[in-house]
Amino acid sequence: MNVPVTAAGKVVVGMTSGLRKDVAMVARGWRWGRRPMVPRSAEPFMQPKESTTFPTAWARKPVANAVREVVQKAGLNPLLHRVVTPVVGGLDVLDTVSGPVVFVANHTSHLDTPLVLCSLPDGWRRKTAVAAAADYFFDTWWRATSASLAFNVFPIERRSGALSSTPAELLRQGWSVLIFPEGTRSPDGWVRKFKLGAAFVAAEAGVPVVPVSLRGSFAAMPRGRNWPVPGRQAVTVRFGRPVLPVRGEGPRDLARRIEEAVARTADEDATTWWEASRRPAGASEAALSGPKVSSWRRSWEATAPPEVRGPRQVWR
Amino acid sequence: MSRPGFVLEVDDRTPPLVVHEGEGFRLERFPLGTRVVYPPESQPGIRDVAGAVRHALEHPEGSEPLRALLRPGMRLTIAFDDISLTLPPMRKPDIRQVVMEEVLTAAAAAGVDDVVIVAANALHRRMTEAELRDIVGERVFRSFYPSGDLYNHDAEDPDNLTHVGTTDRGEDVEINRRAAESDLLVYVNVNMVAMDGGHKSVPIGLASYRSLRHHHNSRTMVHSRSFMDHTKSHMHQSAWRMGRMLAEHLKIFTIETTVNNDVFPDRYSFLMKREWEWGIRDQASMLAAKRGLAMAPNKLRHNLFQGMRAPYGLTGVNAGETEAVHSRTVATVHRQQVVDVEGQSDVLVLGVPYLSPYNVNSVMNPVLATCMGLGYYFNSYLGAPVVRRGGAVILYHPVPWEFSQLHHPSYVDFFEEVLTVSTDPAVIEAKFEAQYATDPWYTHLYRTSNAYHGVHPFYMWYWAAHAMDHVGDVIWVGANRKTVERMGFRAASTLRDALEMASSSVGRSPSITYLRNPPHLLANVAT
Repeated sequence: MNVPVTAAGKVVVGMTSGLRKDVAMVARGWRWGRRPMVPRSAEPFMQPKESTTFPTAWARKPVANAVREVVQKAGLNPLLHRVVTPVVGGLDVLDTVSGPVVFVANHTSHLDTPLVLCSLPDGWRRKTAVAAAADYFFDTWWRATSASLAFNVFPIERRSGALSSTPAELLRQGWSVLIFPEGTRSPDGWVRKFKLGAAFVAAEAGVPVVPVSLRGSFAAMPRGRNWPVPGRQAVTVRFGRPVLPVRGEGPRDLARRIEEAVARTADEDATTWWEASRRPAGASEAALSGPKVSSWRRSWEATAPPEVRGPRQVWR
Repeated sequence: MSRPGFVLEVDDRTPPLVVHEGEGFRLERFPLGTRVVYPPESQPGIRDVAGAVRHALEHPEGSEPLRALLRPGMRLTIAFDDISLTLPPMRKPDIRQVVMEEVLTAAAAAGVDDVVIVAANALHRRMTEAELRDIVGERVFRSFYPSGDLYNHDAEDPDNLTHVGTTDRGEDVEINRRAAESDLLVYVNVNMVAMDGGHKSVPIGLASYRSLRHHHNSRTMVHSRSFMDHTKSHMHQSAWRMGRMLAEHLKIFTIETTVNNDVFPDRYSFLMKREWEWGIRDQASMLAAKRGLAMAPNKLRHNLFQGMRAPYGLTGVNAGETEAVHSRTVATVHRQQVVDVEGQSDVLVLGVPYLSPYNVNSVMNPVLATCMGLGYYFNSYLGAPVVRRGGAVILYHPVPWEFSQLHHPSYVDFFEEVLTVSTDPAVIEAKFEAQYATDPWYTHLYRTSNAYHGVHPFYMWYWAAHAMDHVGDVIWVGANRKTVERMGFRAASTLRDALEMASSSVGRSPSITYLRNPPHLLANVAT
């Protein structure tokens, strides 16, 4: 039976619908239930946060290591393979180094850390700690605790410019360290300028730097997403030939060589080792930082999933 | 300490931003990269207002103290800014009341008997008794109004006007006779924006049409760049010439006051905060206000807005010689309102609020909405306009086809008869201005009722002349299509539509700047 809708009924429906829309807009705009965010251009006006001194040594004790092993092997790894298709290459380079190294990777997504960790052979994975932004991962106790437990992270200040003593200490203790020298996830998928921290740490400790190229993680889960896009997109992780600090070499020079190495690894991943080797100097870096075109075209290209080739080729 | 103004660049973290639109506001998501200019936060107000006024009267700029200028037997006239300031009207006590009470206390102590108080309303409407009382306060009102010594200036009363002379450019200087023939004229000003005050007070506020037409015309207005910079405004330059001429004939003691940016009362305080800093309470207040306004009948909504009183704080009071005082006033206003902006943009977005200087306790008709958007807000710049020449201006306002027959009778005919012939300020000035300015019915309503002068809608249209000359496109979001078409503009339903419509003049990826006022801001544009 059709019930006649009165004018008052229509008004009530209209009001309810308007209220619902407004509440939804406010909930989305002000990120109800999630971390509040300040527009980037407004950040300088925020009160500077106190330096975080969250202790993480406990996360490298035997009990925490055991828990992490379970979390990574039984939880993280299967989950990762369920939501994306990781393709790992270049692990043989790890046979050429021994002892702690600094892994340096480009950074576009929250997938990057689990991708690198889950790509490493177990022996390396168990002895790798990850540098994480103090202002982002260590702003609340529960976030700091869970990140330390799951990923073995330690805090690093990315704003003040002060160098943390933790990575050097970890390297001395035999832990390898994963650092994303861009300092933050790329907003458009292309690599931004590397900061000097990773080079400084490697030069000071005299340990090799293993470049790591990550491609496709921006397309799979860019900034602003909390979960990868559907479709199990391909994501490639490639480890490149280690860069060894030369005696007397400054961090600035080493940083440039590290940047070249990451770019070359990415190039090698996209093409072949042979093609990447034959490129003129600087060509790989230019490709890594993206074409100098309009911002949407850069994003468009960066959001395309990487082409994954079939059977492994001879020179790859 | 209050934070300075700044320019936000909209990114993926930016929440929807408030845009005023008449008697309401909306939350708008701007395209990424849009620059949003925020005014400086409100500066703290002076605590001892009466003490600050007394100090200013005792230590004036370029003049003897007021006390020394007062003597028994003299003719003292006090003129004051009318209801067009402040916006919204101030919470009581109005600063003009405080100043006038201090001046009158000094006058009484000096034994001055002949005192008259005149509202400097020029061609604005006469204020009602209640409105006069609101500004001057109960004590002043009761002492002067019943005897006829507190009244509105009448720019059409030939018996009460004096032609003081002409400037070196041949501009007539004709002002209120009582003021012109006084031994001392004390002008009590309240400065809300840099455009106010200085020689704009006496030579304009107390003038006749014969005098005003020299600077309130399309030619002068189009070359006033901007109204907020009196050194570059042809209108102000003309007023300055008149003021200097007047100063040779008449002793003027100017008292200028400046207010901070506390535009909205507490319950609307979220409108003065930067959106990403809104807490739960602000979000809840905004939702309640927005839904409440959406549900409220038009009349209630109108009354809610018109009943709003701003808790302005006093940021400065200066007294003495007009130009010396004004330079200090402008510096204080700049401290409160100036924001540095780098370069012009292709598109300027403005939210036009419910109130302009000419619809206090009244209706914002389409001409006033245009004046507010393209006249006042467009001109809120120093240096260069925020939008490039040939760019587009996008305004938010419903622009209803609505007029107050009591306050704006000539606007109705202006809208129906003049704008249907032409919207070009120069053309309508040449064809229609004299007719409206001398129309006996409009003059009668101006003198005896509460109507704006017959020529007033023309002046409002001229205010927008610079903007209309400068930009290529004017698009109103959420406006009544018929109304804006009558004025030669276009209407769009959404910002996206407006940008689409403007793409023919500014392209598909224009740079956009949104001036988030009120509270008031003044964009200092470096090119």
